[in-house]
Amino acid sequence: MDALVVAAEWFIGLFKTGGDVFLSLVGGIIPLLIVLLTGVNALVALIGPERIDKVGEWAARDGIIYYPIRYILLPFLAVFFLTNPMAYTMGRFLPEKYKPAFYDSAVSYVHPPLGIFPHINPGELFVWLGIATGIETLGLSVVPLAVWYLLVGLIVIFIRGIVTERITAIMWSRREAK
Amino acid sequence: MNEFLVKIGRGVGGVVGALYQAGREAIDQVIVNILPFMAFIALVIGIIIKTGVGDWIANLLAPLAGSLLGLLVLSVIIALPVLSPLLGPGAVIAQIIGTLLGSTLIANGDIPAKFALPALFAINPQVGCDFIPVGLALGEAEPETVEVGVPAVLFSRLITGPVAVLIAFLFMPLLPYD
Repeated sequence: MDALVVAAEWFIGLFKTGGDVFLSLVGGIIPLLIVLLTGVNALVALIGPERIDKVGEWAARDGIIYYPIRYILLPFLAVFFLTNPMAYTMGRFLPEKYKPAFYDSAVSYVHPPLGIFPHINPGELFVWLGIATGIETLGLSVVPLAVWYLLVGLIVIFIRGIVTERITAIMWSRREAK
Repeated sequence: MNEFLVKIGRGVGGVVGALYQAGREAIDQVIVNILPFMAFIALVIGIIIKTGVGDWIANLLAPLAGSLLGLLVLSVIIALPVLSPLLGPGAVIAQIIGTLLGSTLIANGDIPAKFALPALFAINPQVGCDFIPVGLALGEAEPETVEVGVPAVLFSRLITGPVAVLIAFLFMPLLPYD
């Protein structure tokens, strides 16, 4: 009988720990998140997402100076205003040869801004939050990490766009040679 | 004068409406996307802490997560073109690995807090690899583009996955965590 009670206590304890974790997540994160989401949602609605169409047309051009527009500015604006997954519709402005690279670049930017702009991908918040929680447990501020995640992310998607564009071009020419 | 008042009334009405709608969206996002995942994460963390599986996984991950070489290896494994589309959906794997790293190794101080930045990129080289055909279709890509684009993005990640970790590692000293 005692053994049964011990087992039952252990079983309940399993979920009690989970409950404590849940409470700290909800209490610590949700209030700020709701207000922040409201603010950014309103901002996006008031500015009007259709305004970034111009940048899409701009990013379609050839030439080395349009690389940063295609693989930094356009992905950033697309994920900020249209969020995941509608951001990828901005690819429609680009010629076929740039579409895979733009997708790669845009999809790689749905997590780096999450520390500051969680509206981009609220369903996948824990890609950021999981690691950030560890920093918070140590009593450190997560803001520097959020800012550098966002900035380094821009460099990464730029490189990713260029590399994927090159690989797409190589694979395309091989396909045509067949 | 009347026209002016009507204009102001419309403007204010529009802004208030947008704010209210934004609040509604924020609450929807929290209830539909964020709270269910928090419940899931809380259960996982609760079980991991209580059963001691966490220490076991932490010991397994510690050599990978605590050094540049380990993080590079981790990013290459996750970026393998056969694995990356399987690990992609919902970013669930990235969110679980991130939470494990954050709530065990980083929170306990087993690996330096600064490693959070390269770790954020090391757990995520598969981002969007499950979604390439859909993402390209959203960008109105031709079927041919999809055929070339899918392998192009997958192979590109083998290069840009570890490159992202390396870049984040270079920026790591700028974090104010000691």
